Amino acid sequence: MAGDVKHDYHLVKPSPWPLLGAASILAMMLGMAGYMKGLWFIPQHAWWGPLPGLVALIFVLIGWWGDVLKESRAGDHKEVVQISLRYGMVLFIASEVMFFVAWFWEFFEMAIYHTLRANPDHADLANNPGLVGWSEWPVPQTDGTRVHPFDPFHLPLINTLILLLSGTTVTWAHHALQAGDRNSAKIGLLLTIILGLSFTALQVVEYSEAGFGYDKSIYGSAFFMATGFHGAHVVIGTIMLMVCLGRLMAGGMKPEKHLGFEFAAWYWHFVDVVWLFLFAFVYVAPHIVWGSGAPAAGH
Amino acid sequence: MSSDPKTTAAGHGHDHGHGHGHGHDNAHDHHAHDHQDPKWYSPARWLFSTNHKDIGTLYLVFAMIAGVVGFIFSGFMRAELAEPGLQLFNGTAFGGFLGNEHNYNVITTMHGLIMIFFMVMPALIGGFGNWFVPLMIGAPDMAMPRMNNISFWLLPASFILLLSSMFVPGPAGANGFGGGWVLYPPLSGSTGHPGVAMDLVIFSLHVAGVSSIAGAINFIVTILNMRAPGMTLHKMPLFAWSVLITAFLLVLALPVLAGALTMLLTDRNFGSKFFEVSGGGDPVMFQHLFWFFGHPEVYIMILPGFGIISHVISTFSRKPIFGYLAMAYAMVAIGFIGFIVWAHHMYTVGMNVNLKAYFVAATMVIAVPTGIKIFSWIATMWGGSIEFKVPMLWAIGFIFLFTVGGVTGVVLANAGVDHALHDTYYVVAHFHYVLSLGAVFTLFCGWYYWFEKMWGIKYNGFIGGLHFWLMFIGSNLIFFPQHFLGLQGMPRRYVNYPDAFSEWHHWSTIGYWVAAAATIVFFIGLLEAIVRRRKGEANPWGEGATTLEWTLSSPPPFHQYNDLPRFK
Amino acid sequence: MEHITLKPRFHASGWRMWIKMRSAAWKYWALGAASLLAGGSAWAAPHVGGIDFQSPATETAKRVHAFHNEVLIIITFITVFVTALLIWVMIRYNRRANPVPKKFAHNTLVEILWTVVPVLILVWIAKGSFPLLYEQDVMPEQAREEEIVDIKVYGNMWFWDYTYNVGTDNEFNVESRMLKVGAPDPSLELQPERGDLAQLSVNNPMVAPAGRYIRLKISAKDVIHAWAMPQFMLKVDAMPGRLNQLWFKVDEPGVYYGQCSELCGKDHSNMPIELRILPQAQYDEWQAQYRASPQAARTYLDRVQPTKAAQVASAQ
Ligand code: HEA
Ligand code: HEA
Ligand code: CUA
Ligand SMILES: [Cu+2]
Repeated sequence: MAGDVKHDYHLVKPSPWPLLGAASILAMMLGMAGYMKGLWFIPQHAWWGPLPGLVALIFVLIGWWGDVLKESRAGDHKEVVQISLRYGMVLFIASEVMFFVAWFWEFFEMAIYHTLRANPDHADLANNPGLVGWSEWPVPQTDGTRVHPFDPFHLPLINTLILLLSGTTVTWAHHALQAGDRNSAKIGLLLTIILGLSFTALQVVEYSEAGFGYDKSIYGSAFFMATGFHGAHVVIGTIMLMVCLGRLMAGGMKPEKHLGFEFAAWYWHFVDVVWLFLFAFVYVAPHIVWGSGAPAAGH
Repeated sequence: MSSDPKTTAAGHGHDHGHGHGHGHDNAHDHHAHDHQDPKWYSPARWLFSTNHKDIGTLYLVFAMIAGVVGFIFSGFMRAELAEPGLQLFNGTAFGGFLGNEHNYNVITTMHGLIMIFFMVMPALIGGFGNWFVPLMIGAPDMAMPRMNNISFWLLPASFILLLSSMFVPGPAGANGFGGGWVLYPPLSGSTGHPGVAMDLVIFSLHVAGVSSIAGAINFIVTILNMRAPGMTLHKMPLFAWSVLITAFLLVLALPVLAGALTMLLTDRNFGSKFFEVSGGGDPVMFQHLFWFFGHPEVYIMILPGFGIISHVISTFSRKPIFGYLAMAYAMVAIGFIGFIVWAHHMYTVGMNVNLKAYFVAATMVIAVPTGIKIFSWIATMWGGSIEFKVPMLWAIGFIFLFTVGGVTGVVLANAGVDHALHDTYYVVAHFHYVLSLGAVFTLFCGWYYWFEKMWGIKYNGFIGGLHFWLMFIGSNLIFFPQHFLGLQGMPRRYVNYPDAFSEWHHWSTIGYWVAAAATIVFFIGLLEAIVRRRKGEANPWGEGATTLEWTLSSPPPFHQYNDLPRFK
Repeated sequence: MEHITLKPRFHASGWRMWIKMRSAAWKYWALGAASLLAGGSAWAAPHVGGIDFQSPATETAKRVHAFHNEVLIIITFITVFVTALLIWVMIRYNRRANPVPKKFAHNTLVEILWTVVPVLILVWIAKGSFPLLYEQDVMPEQAREEEIVDIKVYGNMWFWDYTYNVGTDNEFNVESRMLKVGAPDPSLELQPERGDLAQLSVNNPMVAPAGRYIRLKISAKDVIHAWAMPQFMLKVDAMPGRLNQLWFKVDEPGVYYGQCSELCGKDHSNMPIELRILPQAQYDEWQAQYRASPQAARTYLDRVQPTKAAQVASAQ
């Protein structure tokens, strides 16, 4: 606002992105529902169902964040605005943490109380004979086969090291950026991205060798959804880092102000910590408590 | 007195007239104005808004529309339940338009979801929160105005998803989702509702959840970072406190619901086994996740109302709020304890008895901070000089009704008694006393309190009073007899019932018509005010109204506080 | 056992029924009052105009009822107290009575009081509450395992089935469906008669012996249902995959009604529970009859424990 504004807050100009964003999300959700079950003119399993909404959403996000960048360059992000953005990012990550709480809760409940579920005093074995198998962990699958959990000290351990390492490289990049050493920053960032990509790649390899199915038991469902959502977050984090690298190459990001970079780094650390929890509780602890079941397939 | 936030607005707070003619007094003479403020009829102003007051208005209008839908749905239920047998949902009434018993369940489910997610939350948090948090803390706008706008626009999107679900396949051979607002599987899974309706409900709540989380983050950031110079947290008005705490509850509770909904979605569509017994899953797990969100959710709906009531009581008693700090921290306590009591909704799922005992104890504890609030409001009135303006009627009515609803909550908290009362109309009576007569009364209380401030025109006090009395009588008549029904054993979510329950159901339905009259009077009052256009004052309430918004014109300038108010 | 009901309503027709019912309502109120005087036991099934729990039928339920009455008195007192304060401040401190407001905003003593007193009240409530909770949930120790009668209960969309003598040669299954008063259902062998309660009576009631510890193992085969018995103050979900447990002991033979209490879809309101408590000898005989044929068992039940036309006539 022109004129007599005597504060540093950022009064954003009217913007079409929120309305368009909401509309694209609506379209995407309707399309997704159509894909899953068939809805109106979208036949079931039509892969293109959610596509229009998704494309529109990506378009909106590019436009939206493009505006944010422009405003940042125009100097709208004064000190106080930066603090707001920081708080905002922290809270967003907090909400993400709570999202993972749901998946961990599910996993813990199932793992800790599994014998209870097989107890003839508490389980309706007459109609659900499969529940007998719950005296063991991981539980057998619906087709009667056993779950072969991963050996945590194989690929998962390597992945843990990769993520930990990437935590250090991103910090290196950050310090370099702050010190004005843009070249090191680029290298650090590039390394982080490479590490992130290799994590994802190894995760894909691991999934393809899984000795259990996603839809064959609660173990598989909980495992794949928890690690899968983590994987999705890794991918998002990698994209964030890539954007940062792009901006860095294009001459953006100042030593004294580089919120985008910081947020990508925070996000990366969050992803990192979630993995440590996954590693400790989904991979290692059951391995120690219940043994490995049978040798993991493919290793 | 240093802790009283209301008395310290210093001179600068009044400087709203700065700059380019921002100090206009009336929403309706925008045409006379400088080029910067968009005209009220400009579509871009409403579609692309980044202004907290405009977005607040959008929320309120949206809540009003959703409220009418939810209200009409409750009319269908009450008409059906007026007597035993099937009146409306018998496959033939209105040419079969309303369908059969299943559609009663659909209407009930939609009523619950709409009232909660699309009426109370948008009105109290999105509407009043957006309007008055920035005004009260001396901020020019919300911290992230553009995100604020998508928080709003996601709601109509979500509402469309929800309403569409009623017209697409649900269970075999029928449309819509009729599994209750709590969405328990397997009824909400492929077993009970294989059709796409339930998927739309899930997506609707996902979207509403994203909207609420984004909105909540915005409120927290605004309140933590944009308070006027000198306004410490301990000087901040209680409404801002209440929204701050509510926002934290939202950020921490909603993602867990999102997780549970996602599990339900993948169970339904991609073969995961979270709640499928055949694969070792457990439906009870969903209930834990749901109520971990669901119980905080009920405080999400009432805390902003607590904030409003504090201001109204203080204003019309011309007395600073009694025990300001205790009031703020009582809300913190309620919010905190609210996270550790969820399974009191699950006493009958077959939980271990020791766990039940824990949840009994934890639940009852909430009565203490809530009692502190009730008594502090009364103590605020004590020694005051009370004026019974319309908002004050709603506030006093609220204190009484919320107490009734609260103490029946304490009865339900006792698992031993809840074994008899769970899923009966006693529960329906309990939660309508705290919601339909609690949260909704605070909603109307805030509406009349800030009406002149928001719209720059005066409402007719007689119509407002009539609205209150009709609503007070009507809703008591609806819901008090439901306690009797519940004690007698009348189960919830029943479209048809034994003859024995007819008496009180009749009275309840008569009450509905009184509440319907009240709702009509409400809209007449709104129309009357719009037509008459009595020019509003900056502060119609006099010396009792001490928060910052009353230092501004009515309606406030398009951008207030270009020069920030300063606090001692 | 008396069952007071309105005439079976084959065609409830709107407000005319309502007016008719209103004009007869004094009778129900009078009966209600009389039964309260007589110790409350005359009211078994829910009754028109009832404002309290159905009369408790087990010792535990009586204690829970008594506990609820205490809590009811407390919460009524609290509500009246809050209302009285509100009325007092409205009279004493309105603008006319008190034009100049005081300015105080603290008073340590009352603040402590209104924190501590509710705590004490709650502690007192909890003290009564916990023992009852454990009493309801935990089978008493004096119940010797061999004396316990086990019945397995399954909720289905939309009927209950009960299995007796599980795992023995005598195992048999009772399928219990609602009698559609007002809408006779040709698929059922038994049609409702005068005296059957709309939405409560079933074709094949559940039967259990008086004076013994009954242990129900409850589950469901499709979605969640809930087995509820108001007069025992008991309710537990029938949860697919789980076996939930309830116990009760009723000394008086009688007829008890409950209704499915967890939303289970379209006919959620159409799967009531009718429980007949019979003396042991009659219970044994009913079992024998049932194994012969459900029809024979039903006839036997109606003979030893008539609830139909005869009983209604006596109530009028
Ligand atoms: C605004 C919403 C709101 C609020 C504020 C509350 C407040 C409370 N609720 Fe309620 N509740 C709901 C909304 C709400 N509830 C809903 C929607 C459901 C049903 C969901 C569903 O199944 O669909 C429900 C269900 C529900 C149940 C489950 C019942 C069942 O399904 O079987 C229980 C059980 O413990 C309960 C307890 C309580 C308690 C103890 C409080 C306490 O916070 C109340 C505290 C207040 C007071 C006690 C009054 C004031 C205090 C004093 C004057 C001090 C002195 C008092 C004493 C010493 C007692 N509620
Ligand atoms: C905030 C929540 C809320 C509100 C306000 C209401 C209001 C009402 N409710 Fe509802 N109800 C629920 C939440 C609510 N309800 C929930 C969660 C359930 C459980 C669903 C389930 O079982 O799954 C339920 C269930 C429920 C049942 C039980 C159905 C059953 O179990 O079979 C019944 C039956 O009588 C009922 C009736 C009513 C009536 C007559 C009103 C009346 O009070 C309506 C009167 C009108 C108003 C209160 C005004 C409406 C507001 C506006 C017009 C907007 C104003 C807006 C602005 C000023 C911005 N409701
Ligand atoms: Cu079965 Cu409800
Ligand atoms: Cu609760």
